[in-house]
Amino acid sequence: MKFYVRRIAFYVLTLWFAVTLNFVLPRLLPGDPATILLQKLSRLGGEVTPAMIRSVELLLGTDDGASMWTQYWSYIGSIFRGDLGVSISNYPAPVTTLIGEALPWTLALVGTATVISFLLGIFGGAWVGWKRGTWADNVIPATTLLQSVPYFWLALLLVYIFSVSLGWFPIIGGWDTWTFDNPEASFAFFLDALRHATLPAITIILSSVGGWLLGMRNMTVSTLSEDYITTAEAKGLRPSRIFMTYTVRNASLPSIAGFTIALGFVVSGSIVMEQVFTYPGLGRLMIQAVQGNDYALMQGVFLVITLTVLAANFIMDMFYGFIDPRARHNG
Amino acid sequence: MIRTEGLRRLLPAAALASSLALIVSGCSSDSNGGGGGGGDDAEGTVLNVWAGAQTPLVANFNPYSTGIQNGTLGPIYEPLFYYNRAASGDPVPMLGESFEFNEDGTQLTVKTREGVTWNDGTPFTAKDVAFTWNYEPAKPIGLVSAEATDDTTVVATFETAQYTTAAGLFMAAIVPEHIWKDITPEEAGAWTNEEAVGTGPYMVESTSSQAFTLTKNPNYWEEGKPTVDKLRYLGINDNNAAQSLLTTGKVDWTAMFIADTEPVTADGRIGMLNTPQDPTVIYTCSNAELGCTGPQTDVAVRQAINLAIDRTEIDSKAFSEKAGIISPTFALMPRDQKWVAEGMPEESPQSADVSAAETVLTDAGYVKGGDGIFAKDGERVSMTLVSIDGWTDYNNAAKLIAEQAKAAGIEITASTASQAEVDEQKTSGSFQLMVHGVNGTNVADPFQIYRDWFTTDKTQPVGTTVPQGDWNFSRFSDPAVDAAVTAAAATDDDAERLEQYAIIQDAIVTDLPYIPLVINSTLSFMNTKDYTGWPTEDDLYAFPPSWGSMSSGIIAANITPAD
Repeated sequence: MKFYVRRIAFYVLTLWFAVTLNFVLPRLLPGDPATILLQKLSRLGGEVTPAMIRSVELLLGTDDGASMWTQYWSYIGSIFRGDLGVSISNYPAPVTTLIGEALPWTLALVGTATVISFLLGIFGGAWVGWKRGTWADNVIPATTLLQSVPYFWLALLLVYIFSVSLGWFPIIGGWDTWTFDNPEASFAFFLDALRHATLPAITIILSSVGGWLLGMRNMTVSTLSEDYITTAEAKGLRPSRIFMTYTVRNASLPSIAGFTIALGFVVSGSIVMEQVFTYPGLGRLMIQAVQGNDYALMQGVFLVITLTVLAANFIMDMFYGFIDPRARHNG
Repeated sequence: MIRTEGLRRLLPAAALASSLALIVSGCSSDSNGGGGGGGDDAEGTVLNVWAGAQTPLVANFNPYSTGIQNGTLGPIYEPLFYYNRAASGDPVPMLGESFEFNEDGTQLTVKTREGVTWNDGTPFTAKDVAFTWNYEPAKPIGLVSAEATDDTTVVATFETAQYTTAAGLFMAAIVPEHIWKDITPEEAGAWTNEEAVGTGPYMVESTSSQAFTLTKNPNYWEEGKPTVDKLRYLGINDNNAAQSLLTTGKVDWTAMFIADTEPVTADGRIGMLNTPQDPTVIYTCSNAELGCTGPQTDVAVRQAINLAIDRTEIDSKAFSEKAGIISPTFALMPRDQKWVAEGMPEESPQSADVSAAETVLTDAGYVKGGDGIFAKDGERVSMTLVSIDGWTDYNNAAKLIAEQAKAAGIEITASTASQAEVDEQKTSGSFQLMVHGVNGTNVADPFQIYRDWFTTDKTQPVGTTVPQGDWNFSRFSDPAVDAAVTAAAATDDDAERLEQYAIIQDAIVTDLPYIPLVINSTLSFMNTKDYTGWPTEDDLYAFPPSWGSMSSGIIAANITPAD
């Protein structure tokens, strides 16, 4: 019990620290949001009218003179009320609405892709390890090569081949805006969304599966040299049983630990992927917030990311404490 | 450790099933694909527009908000008169029919159009104009009073002559009194106005985070217009994607920079127009009296840089040969031809003249040192030229300038900084040289640039932030220019105004607080196969980019689907 109390206290402290850091960091960035906003408008080709300058001033220009300390307390207070403020770069949408709209897309796409990538990596890696010394060893360098290809370039290449040249997949978006005005609860829309998710998902899988494969392959090879495998073979067990029950099961332990962390980072999305594919996710919001010095949105997005990373770690910690008594005693 | 044998067996199956689902669905539902281009589907013709908006789109059609969506100004809200920034010519009457000034330019009488209704059915009257002008967020500076004397006449009185500022007032969106009287000025910035009531050819139909659709206003005042049923404004995060969508027929009208336009226009479906508008210059912190430091505070150094740079090379290597030729008078050629005073240059030198540059420096008492760089009183002519990191055209231009200046014995170090840092340097004056933009004028007259970028009123000493809306970042200050700007604003007589411009131009062409480089290209792409009636090289009836405020409404009302 003491172990759990200690862990929970640790996480509460980490959470507070993260939330505070979240408050401080954006304010250390140079520049003021009003100027950047206007500059962005004129660079994007918008004509900056005096009326616009006026409303930017009304909105941001006047420093209300509140001290850092007051700002900090009102920030903490509003977090507890679930009020994350109003986004400046997507003025005047509330941050919670923006995150609420983006989060499901990121969770569904990046989450699924991460799981697929993980499973492919585990079973593929185990199989390659099992077949060590044969042609199957060539799979590893091939996939790590894919992983080293710059992410945006891979995405652009896929778009060029499969969307522009072959026309099999859409070029942008989470759904077909030319057909559906808004997301709707229909089977056609679901299929359409799946179709839009395919290329982004393939990008994520291609560029992440190599790591899982490599780790799993090496663990499999070292597990295969364990004495209990030799014993199992000596007992004359079926190779499939040795493979699944003796090898994969033991070799996948480190990968499973890594997977929990990977799940934590799902929420931060794949920033580049969402940019290239104009995918309506959270990574997109993050770029926008950073570029626009949009403190409220930045804090909101970072808060969500922090919370999920912490939650994933917490679950892993509890899980380990549960399955491995040593962790409870030493930790 | 994992005891659930069944689950473990299920996992690979589930993975296989879900990846299969992804693949199968990818290949099956192709039927949705082709509907984009040309836009002839069940709901009528839909013109797909990208005006630079990125996702997520937030429905906001409030002309006084910073989050305003493209399509608000023009397609939904209209001005009194339209001033075409792409060509010289008289203002086009929109909601206004005619206007006149009193003797000293302080009183303005506008006749408004009859028979116009707001898209909710309420008639439009001069009262709406008076309301708009009196409305706090839209109120013009120096307005004393504005009132409607009858349903089609509005009279406004100002503190000073309005000859040069009336265009701004006429180009502003007119909003309906019966809606906006309930919105307090404090609320105005944050109100999203999702069911915008305007007089324009289009009105809001639906919105989402990826796109929004405007549908045609059946009661539009201009008979028979518009003919395109719907405009769909898209959010696209990436220029590459936008270009792909343009070539595959999913976008019909856009404006963005494409270095190699050949593949886009090759099949003749997409037409391109280049209408250079906005000057790119080197800002120099020029005024030592206001606290600028560095060699560039000496006018001789600025003149030498001006002579040493090769603008043709800069255009071809940094701007893909698409930039326009700049005039050091900041009059946009050929549009503002009549505003270039006698004897003033219509173009900045297009090639480098190293010996002339060196002569200027030598005459000013500089001596070339052993390192090939000029120096005076032990101070080398060495400066830093900053540009915003990632704005590659500017970054490349800066590198070229550094090389070209070196040949003339001037050391320029090209550096980059984040947008926020550059903004900070710009507004506080803590820079020496900076490659940056100047806003082109909305009307065929360089007055706005003279007033906003060159007068003492619009600047601050180094260390004090130049406020929003003021643009004199070079800290230039010349009483003669200030006086000429004031005099030019007070006259409606072109010849008199040109006399004042001569004074201004003489000063800025010699002093070079902003060293002109090029006029930035503005590339517009439109689907000329499925739609006709676009502006053309010969008939630039409106400024062609899809983001153009007010002009986009005029173009949308004038194009028609091709048979």
